[in-house]
Amino acid sequence: MKTPHHNSQNLIELTRGQRALYASAILVMALGIVTIFAIPQITQAVIDGFHGSADEPLRFEAPGFLLRIGQALGVTGAFGFLSLAGVIVILITVLAGVLQYLRGRWAASASEGIMRELRDALFDHFARLPMAFFDRSNVGDLVQRATSDVETLRVFLSSQVVEIGRAILLLVFVTPILFSMDTQLAWISLAMMPVVVVYSLFFFRSITQRFQAVDEAEGHLTSVLQENLTGIRVVRSFGRRAFEEDKFGRANREHRDATWSLMRLLSTYWSLSDALCFAQMGLVLFFGAQRTMAGELTLGTWVAFMEYAAMVIWPVRQMGRTLVDASKAGVAMTRVNEILGEAIEEPHDALATSDATLTGELEIRGLSFGFKPDERVLEDINLHVRRGDTVAFVGPPGAGKSVLLELLLRLHDYAEGSIRLDGHELNDLPCALVRRDMAVVMQSPFLYARSIAANLHLATHDLTEERMIAATEAAAMHASIEGFDHGYDTLLGERGVTLSGGQKQRLAIARALLREAPFLILDDALSAVDLGTEARILDALRQRRGKQTTLLVAHRLSTVRHADQIFVMHDGRIVERGRHEELVASGGRYAHLWSMQTELERDLEPNAQAGASHDRN
Amino acid sequence: MTATDPTTNSTTEPQRKGLDLSMWRELYGFTKPYKLQVRLLMLNAVITASTESTLPIVTKHLIDKIEVWQSAVAGAPFPSIGFELLAFAGLISILATSVWHFIRYAGFLKAHMAADIREAGFLKLQQLEFAYFDQRASGWLVARMTSDCERLARIMAWGTLDVLWGSSLITGITVAMLLLNWKLALLVLLVMPLLAYASLYFQRRILMASRAIRKLNSQVTADFNEAIMGVKTTKSFTREAASLEEFQLRTGAMFEASVRNAVLSAVYLPVVLTIGSFAAAIILIAGGQDVLAGTITLGTLVAFMSYTRHLFEPLQQLAHIFSELQMAQAAGERILELVHAVPSIADSKAVQKRMADQLLSPQPGCAADGFPDAFDTIELRGVSFAYNPEEPVLDNINLTIAPGETVALVGSTGGGKTTLVSLLCRFYEPTAGQVLFGGIDYRDRSLDWLQSHLGVVLQDAHLFSGSILENIRYGRLDATDEEVRSAAELVGADRFVKRMTGGYQFDVGEGGARLSAGERQLVSFARAILADPRILVMDEATANIDTETERHIQKGLERVLKGRTAFVIAHRLSTIETADRIVVIEKGKVVEQGSHKALMALAGRYRELHAHQGIQELGTHADDWN
Repeated sequence: MKTPHHNSQNLIELTRGQRALYASAILVMALGIVTIFAIPQITQAVIDGFHGSADEPLRFEAPGFLLRIGQALGVTGAFGFLSLAGVIVILITVLAGVLQYLRGRWAASASEGIMRELRDALFDHFARLPMAFFDRSNVGDLVQRATSDVETLRVFLSSQVVEIGRAILLLVFVTPILFSMDTQLAWISLAMMPVVVVYSLFFFRSITQRFQAVDEAEGHLTSVLQENLTGIRVVRSFGRRAFEEDKFGRANREHRDATWSLMRLLSTYWSLSDALCFAQMGLVLFFGAQRTMAGELTLGTWVAFMEYAAMVIWPVRQMGRTLVDASKAGVAMTRVNEILGEAIEEPHDALATSDATLTGELEIRGLSFGFKPDERVLEDINLHVRRGDTVAFVGPPGAGKSVLLELLLRLHDYAEGSIRLDGHELNDLPCALVRRDMAVVMQSPFLYARSIAANLHLATHDLTEERMIAATEAAAMHASIEGFDHGYDTLLGERGVTLSGGQKQRLAIARALLREAPFLILDDALSAVDLGTEARILDALRQRRGKQTTLLVAHRLSTVRHADQIFVMHDGRIVERGRHEELVASGGRYAHLWSMQTELERDLEPNAQAGASHDRN
Repeated sequence: MTATDPTTNSTTEPQRKGLDLSMWRELYGFTKPYKLQVRLLMLNAVITASTESTLPIVTKHLIDKIEVWQSAVAGAPFPSIGFELLAFAGLISILATSVWHFIRYAGFLKAHMAADIREAGFLKLQQLEFAYFDQRASGWLVARMTSDCERLARIMAWGTLDVLWGSSLITGITVAMLLLNWKLALLVLLVMPLLAYASLYFQRRILMASRAIRKLNSQVTADFNEAIMGVKTTKSFTREAASLEEFQLRTGAMFEASVRNAVLSAVYLPVVLTIGSFAAAIILIAGGQDVLAGTITLGTLVAFMSYTRHLFEPLQQLAHIFSELQMAQAAGERILELVHAVPSIADSKAVQKRMADQLLSPQPGCAADGFPDAFDTIELRGVSFAYNPEEPVLDNINLTIAPGETVALVGSTGGGKTTLVSLLCRFYEPTAGQVLFGGIDYRDRSLDWLQSHLGVVLQDAHLFSGSILENIRYGRLDATDEEVRSAAELVGADRFVKRMTGGYQFDVGEGGARLSAGERQLVSFARAILADPRILVMDEATANIDTETERHIQKGLERVLKGRTAFVIAHRLSTIETADRIVVIEKGKVVEQGSHKALMALAGRYRELHAHQGIQELGTHADDWN
């Protein structure tokens, strides 16, 4: 067995290209905070500029920096200085605004850029992971990791990091300013900050649990709805309306009550934290009043304190909540990295390293295979298929037919025995090469949610309309397609037309025929096609005989009876092989299957007599 | 969610300029059971806003007191600030209490209204005819029932709060400023229209941008889903690189849209703050002059500054809710349309009346709808059907089915076989003609009566998540475990069930995804058998089952079908040949009918179909592939 290829990336590496931009965003954020912190200084200067006492009218004398700037600009008089203060406020706000804009833009470009790379990396990784990975994974879980978990990371990088950073920077910058103004009031201004953060942290731990309860209730409700609506035919045909309404009613009420319980807790949290923040403002207000009366502070400084406290307290309150939310990002990152850490099937450039060409010969010797060590799905398979032959596999479900075909496609790796394609050992061939040369139609074919033509175009790069129609004609699908309102441009999937099982199979066959690969594999690909159509498709396939090696699995013996070789499989072994006539003559399993049908012919005689009495034609 | 509107298939919803108030008023009807909560919510919103607009007054008084004291002669006694302290503490307590209340009421209303709207929609969906579901993908409906309901309830609950709180706060602030100094107030209020305009302008665009992102996001989810579900196909077509390229276009668009959205927000706030700074400048300049002139105090100046800072938030909320109301209009219309939809297949007034009568004075031997429970023949009389008028699917079908008869329907794909059984089950009703059970038109009977006699097995067998046991029991809810097991044995499902871990307790996964197609069919067969229906409908029910298992099912069916009427659609002739009667349907018409033997003798379409399978020519054409 070949060793898996580690070509994995992780999230930390993906941030590499964006780190400089991210750092710039944080830098301008810091600058913006410093800038906006100048505004209370101006308020303070203006308020302290008013002088007066009981026996003289109020006058305005610009203090400190306002005076120096004013003098440099040649400003005079109260009106001049007040106007100067007003203009400075506007200018500072504009400058802070520009910095804020840059911060928003750069932080978004950086975080969204990382997310783009992460999504691409995940998508690419999924396509290159071995089938074994998907066999043991749950589709819903994988999609959730690629979407919800990525979204959690996006919110973390684009807003939570920024918010937490901002709150911390605000605190870091405001502290020296406050202490330079008045030590005692500075302590008081910061007194409630840790309380507010710890309170939020504490509360949000339990709030998070209720959020989860709501999420779970919502998930349950959605799946109840989903199942009811996708299975509406079953619901109706069994007259299960009351049962379904009851089931939905319970899920709906559960969700409602979970939401209501969350809101009750939130109401307590928000109102109490509002009270805490206002209490902080009150502390500054009243202690500041005290300090001002004691002559320790000017009126302006006191007002500036209040402004600073108001600027810092609300972001700090948010921080507790954000910290709790941000803790989810750690879990999300682990879950995403788990996928990126899975080994991929083969290196990206595998195809270029091989010069093998396949023509359609297949030889299997002593092949045994199992998904688990103690469970054999295939046991000692030996067979040889000449180029251009048609061979068929029949047998009950679980006999190993589909697994054998999947092995040929290198969707799994085998450890025992040998599979040779044109003399090359399959395990030594690049997956990409093997799959390029095998056109396959699965039991339940997968069509992409795009137009019919686009689905056919997937098969080959240079597809002319002629070839496209030739292929759909061969698959007896052309007329059906023409019957759709938009013909070949008809959209498939949820947003467009839902094809019937037979139509899907026929379209998938057309798609496979277009590949013109040395091997054609049909895994029970005609099960939903009616008999007449099947005959037409088999006719078309017959014309390819000798050019394309065809391996097919079918339940209907009419599909397989003309094959060059028929392999009857049972419990992972080939128990009979040969042409149809030989197998019928040998009196084994195949003959038994066959006789069940011919027996019917004989059984039918009395029924046919009885049935004729109902004939009203 | 990967749902998009299948009826329009457009990526943008129609944008309407104005607000459709009558639509919202109608939706607001969902608040009726909660009148008290709505009133209390409104009351508390107003209390909160009033308290918030009073708080700066306390600060103003405090500043004024100190300023007066400072400019008084030295040695004057400290002013008492006890009243202000008390007022501040009182206001904060009121504020916290009213916030606590309004969050509770808004949360209560949101939770309950979302549930009520959803329930109304769900109940209607359970009554609507299949044609409704043919036009709407289930994913789309699920999105309507989840996110749309949540969104509308949120808008109505929190929107009520925001509108009341926002407008009261703006009023409160305006009044307070006018009372403090009306001239300065008018100057400051000059920036209001600018703020309002900027908020409306940006809120709308931000909402639109985030909707574009949501849409892209759901496409990305769909892409991931497709990539994982179709991984075998992608691998077998070696399309890894090509599909990544396509996906990169999507993530590229997502990147652009997200950055655009972030930039909008990054412009919005600075713009608003700049407008606010004009007001601050006005207060400094004009207010400063007023202070010097003695027309206002310093406390008033500070109060004005604090008021202008608080003007912005309520404006932003109002702009947001206004934009949301516009954006959510389409969602509201879709929900109301669903709630008001009239099921076209439902028990008629007459049937309902009979059911009420039967309930009051039960007639023995009669079903809940007042007609005899038993019926003998089923008759299709001149039945025609068309999904749309130009393309008739069935044309004047006449069939009478005797009790206990097994009828096989054969013919080309698209000939109308499935439509015929759908009409029989009253999933659709004929556009012309009648379907009669025991001589009574089924439109005169209740849907429940008919469906309680039906057992349907479809090719694409739908299972519900849960155990195999629960799935089979769906056929008859009061069946014992033993009865479930014997139904499974009858159709030969027990063999595979025993192999599964947990046996009958094996969880089949959503839609039965953890079982193979054939296994799903076996389970759905057992489910239908357990229901013990008078009429069994099998549409391609054995297509994914091997001949041997099918044979087993048939043996089981022979016992089950005694005394029952059955309709079988199948491609495999072995399934068809045992039928009492074979009806060949082509292009919506019955072209032949009779027993297998009679039809073979007829040498018509049936024989032609049969010849394709080549059974009757066993061994004679073995070389025709060469």
